[in-house]
Amino acid sequence: MEERELIARVRAGDGASERALYDAHVDRVYRLAYRLAGDDQLAREFTQDTFVRAFERLASFRGEAKLSTWLHAIATSVVLNGLRKVKRFRRREADLDDAAGVAGGRRAAEPDLKRRLAQAIDDLPHGYRTVFVMHDVEGYTHEEIGASLGVETGTSKAQLSRARARLREALADFAGEWAS
Amino acid sequence: MTDERFERLLREAAQQYHRPPATPREEMWLGIAATRDARRRRRLLVANPWLRWGLGIAAVLALGIGIGRWTASLPGPAPVVATGSGDQGLFAYRVAAAQYLTRTEALLTGFRSEARSGRPDAQFARQARDLLGTTRLMLDSPAAQDARLKGLLDDLELVLAQIAQLSPHGDNEEVQLINQGLEQRSVLLRLRTANPAGPGPVRTQGAL
Repeated sequence: MEERELIARVRAGDGASERALYDAHVDRVYRLAYRLAGDDQLAREFTQDTFVRAFERLASFRGEAKLSTWLHAIATSVVLNGLRKVKRFRRREADLDDAAGVAGGRRAAEPDLKRRLAQAIDDLPHGYRTVFVMHDVEGYTHEEIGASLGVETGTSKAQLSRARARLREALADFAGEWAS
Repeated sequence: MTDERFERLLREAAQQYHRPPATPREEMWLGIAATRDARRRRRLLVANPWLRWGLGIAAVLALGIGIGRWTASLPGPAPVVATGSGDQGLFAYRVAAAQYLTRTEALLTGFRSEARSGRPDAQFARQARDLLGTTRLMLDSPAAQDARLKGLLDDLELVLAQIAQLSPHGDNEEVQLINQGLEQRSVLLRLRTANPAGPGPVRTQGAL
C-alpha cells in the first residue's frame, strides 16, 4: 500500500491501517528513543507518546515531507523535551543525594574504554550528542537529521564534526588502545 | 592515529552505546491504544457539559448518600443523637451554605471588577458552572427553608447561569446585562448581609 493511501485510511479511522503505520515505523522510533534515553522505560514512554501525537496530528500532515521525516521530527521533539525534564528531575535528586552525603558512583571513574566512550557521549552538549547518536550510531543522513531537528544540513554536519572532536579529546588517553 | 581511523573505530565502538533491546511492539501498541482511548473519553467529557455536570452532580449525590449511610450505621447512644440531630444537621447546612456564599461572593466581586476593566476571563464561566451545581443542591436542602436565603439562592442561580453561558468571544453587552442584574437586585449587598465577613463560625451568625 502506498504511503499516501495508508495516511488517507488512517485519517478515515481505519484501525488496521493505524497498526500498519505503527509497524512500519516503530522500530526506528524506539531505537532512537532508546539510544538517546538509555533507559527502556523512558524509551517506551517516548515512543508511545510519539505515536499518540502522530495519530492525533495526522490530519495536519500536508505531505510536504516524507511521513518518516515528519514522524521523526515528532519523535526527536518528544525525546529531547522528555529528557530535559528527566535531567532536571535527576539533577534535583543528585542535589539531594549530595546534601545527604551519598557518594554517587561516576562512570568516569571506571577505566574501561567502552564505559569511557559512553560517558564521553553522555557528556556531550545536547545538540552534539543528538546529532552524533542519530548519524554515527543510528545511521540517519544529515538531511534526515536536519528535517527532524529543524536545522540546516550544514549545521548537522558541523555539530557532528564538533562532537567527534570532543570525543577524540575526551578519549585522548586511550589513543594507544584505539591505534592498536 | 588518523582522523579517518579514529572515526571508524568510534563508529564501531559507538554501536554499543545504549544498545536497544528488541522493540516491545505489542506492549507499546497496547499502551498507545489505552492512552488514546483515555484521551478520547476525556475529550467527550469536556465537550459535553451535560455529561460533565451530570457526573459532578452524581458524584456529589453519591458522596452524600455514602456519608448519610455511614453516619446512620455508626453505633452510638440513640437518645443523644435524637435530641441533637436536628440542630446539628441545621448547623451543618449553615456551614455549607456559608462556604458556598463565600465562594460565590468572591466570584461575583471578581467578575464585577474584571467587567469594569475589560472582558472577564473564561475562568469565571468555569467557576460559575461549578457553583451552579452547588446552588441547585442548596436550593433543595433544608438551608433553603429560610425564605430570605431561598430568594437569594434563586437570584444567584440566575446570575451564575448567565456567567456560565458567557461565550469567550461574545460582546460586552452580555457582561453589562449581568452587571445590571446584579445591581438592580442588589445581589452582592444581599450576599454580604447573608454572609458577613469573618472566620467560619462567625459567618454563620449572620442572616443564616
